[in-house]
Amino acid sequence: MLGRKAARPAGDAGGEALRLEGVRRVYGPEGNQVVALDGVSLSLPVGSFTAVMGPSGSGKSTLLQCAAGLDRPTAGRVFVDGAELAGGSEAALTKFRRQRIGFVFQQFNLLPTLTVMQNVTLPLKLAGRKVDRRRAQEVLERVGLGDRLDHLPSELSGGQQQRVAIARALVTEPRVVFGDEPTGALDTRSARAVLALLQEAVRVYGQTVVMVTHDPVAAAHADAVLYLADGRIVGYQQAPTAETVAERMTHLADEVERQRITAGV
Amino acid sequence: MFGLAMRSLRKRAGAFGASFLSMFLGATILMAFASMLDTATGDGVTGTARETLVTMASVVGGWGLILVVFAVTSTLTLSVRQRAAEMALLKSVGATPAQIGRMIVGEAAGVAVAAGLLAIVPAALAGRGIVGLLHDTGQVPADVPHAFGPIAVSMGLGITFVSATAAALITARRAARVRVAESMADAAAEKTRLSRKRIAGGALCLLLATYAAVLTCTLMKGKGTDAMASAGQADIAAAIGFAFLAPAIIRGVTALLAAPLRAFGAAGDLAVTTLRRRTGAMSAAVTPIILFTGTAVGTLYLQATENAATDAAGLSKTADQKGVETLNLVVIGMVVVFTAIMLVNTLLAATAHRRREFAQARLTGATPGQVLGTVALESAVLTVIGVACGTVASVFTIVPFGIARMDSPTPDGSVWIFIGVVALAVVLTGATTLGSARRAVRVPAVEAVAA
Repeated sequence: MLGRKAARPAGDAGGEALRLEGVRRVYGPEGNQVVALDGVSLSLPVGSFTAVMGPSGSGKSTLLQCAAGLDRPTAGRVFVDGAELAGGSEAALTKFRRQRIGFVFQQFNLLPTLTVMQNVTLPLKLAGRKVDRRRAQEVLERVGLGDRLDHLPSELSGGQQQRVAIARALVTEPRVVFGDEPTGALDTRSARAVLALLQEAVRVYGQTVVMVTHDPVAAAHADAVLYLADGRIVGYQQAPTAETVAERMTHLADEVERQRITAGV
Repeated sequence: MFGLAMRSLRKRAGAFGASFLSMFLGATILMAFASMLDTATGDGVTGTARETLVTMASVVGGWGLILVVFAVTSTLTLSVRQRAAEMALLKSVGATPAQIGRMIVGEAAGVAVAAGLLAIVPAALAGRGIVGLLHDTGQVPADVPHAFGPIAVSMGLGITFVSATAAALITARRAARVRVAESMADAAAEKTRLSRKRIAGGALCLLLATYAAVLTCTLMKGKGTDAMASAGQADIAAAIGFAFLAPAIIRGVTALLAAPLRAFGAAGDLAVTTLRRRTGAMSAAVTPIILFTGTAVGTLYLQATENAATDAAGLSKTADQKGVETLNLVVIGMVVVFTAIMLVNTLLAATAHRRREFAQARLTGATPGQVLGTVALESAVLTVIGVACGTVASVFTIVPFGIARMDSPTPDGSVWIFIGVVALAVVLTGATTLGSARRAVRVPAVEAVAA
């Protein structure tokens, strides 16, 4: 099936950044269960920028949350940077995430009582790591907010808040950065700036980015697009453009139907 | 807008739980003591019996009234503040400030009517209990029956309704004045300056407390048990005064404790910023701790000193004195239960409201343990502030009364009374805050953020 194997040959030095093996996620009580993810397997190399697309309810967000250790799969295994995302307590999962994963949300999720600088250094403090303010400032300058260090999130625009969130995700130098509709609440200009920052993280700093979106323009910033429908990967496209992505999304339903018929379901 | 108010009452009854409970208890207390007036107007009630009943209704009922207004205002303010985002949403779809005001007042009025009506039966029982107590101590002849009539019902319902509506008006005015864009932001950050009204209210209450204290150790000196009346009010007034000034006190103490708190790592760091930036919500939480400690410590030592004074005079207690003692304990019991419930409610509401904030911290990399650690440190600071302010407030009662009755500013009574009250405050605050925080972090972080 499409998208089952490596999204791209692990050519660069890094190897594999993220691997999912037969991940299933079922919600709801016995008898009234909803299958959000139906056996998803994939492998993303280090230094790749992948967009995950699919219609509403296709399982995009669940996929991201399972891969990022925010939700636990019902079955299957997840490897981040070669280490298996183990079950166990929330504290154990949190510690696992701290070292390897950065997350950018649609609704920013900055702490309202903390200043820009405090928000960015918070992950380091929580992890008990040395707080290198110079480095935090560098990252904030990289996202264009070097002059807003003492502002509160409520004093910033949406685009600025999202750039703070990106700085917060990058400051721990995680292997993989996940974005859940990171441009979903932004105007086109702010959205473009955010996408450029994610691209830069990949191209210049060699990080791996996985981003859920339903905007073809946003998806076109990625190196590759994974298509998801009904909890399965149903397509894969390299070097996407906004036009080809929009075209593919339009016909995704037909494609799924065709695949079903060939599979004899 | 009235329709909307009733709808939000029906659909989200839980959100008004704290306001309802404080109104219900308040109405019960008010009606129970107002029924003393009903009893006093009965046939054949004359002389001292009549005087006792009227005094009791006005003194205890009066303080009850102040507590009710205070509790209702604080619970309502909290519930409106929690809904700042909803208010902003209403404004953004075209609600005028006046309409929002009507909605808030409508909700409060609806809750007040329900609470008042439900309080009638428990109030009648409580009133009967009080009269029974007065019978037992011989302050009121046994042939005077307890009456629960028009005065009790009208005063109880009327005062509850009026004070709830007035509290809602104050709250609504504040909520409606903010503009849409501002109130969206306000949902996140709040102003931290001490308002002029708070300064004025605080100063007035502290002046009253000082007046009552000075009165006790000058005019009331040597007048025996009568000094209790003025002494007993001083600590309540002082406690309310400190509650008014709580934001400034919290900021000062936080500045002092910032360095030691930061030694606790990230949790301490987060606790410091919350205390600093959310002084409004933190003040609402510290208020019941101050009231609880102040009134309980003050009145218990007052009674202990009174007992010691009687013993020192070599007298055995008269029935009258025994009556006063029992009554004192009943009043303390009432106030303690009232403030304890207010304390638990305020803390529960305040913590539940922070579910999203906790989830955001968890998504940033905080373990549930770190979130709970932050909450524990915050509530430790609040408890220290509350207990300290309450203790200072109780001094306004204890020292003047000691001087008036025993010529000594140090109170009688075991130090264990104080330790007991403080322990109760610590346990109530700690258990409530940590219990509800624990429940808040049990929800998956991703869900809690979306909610």
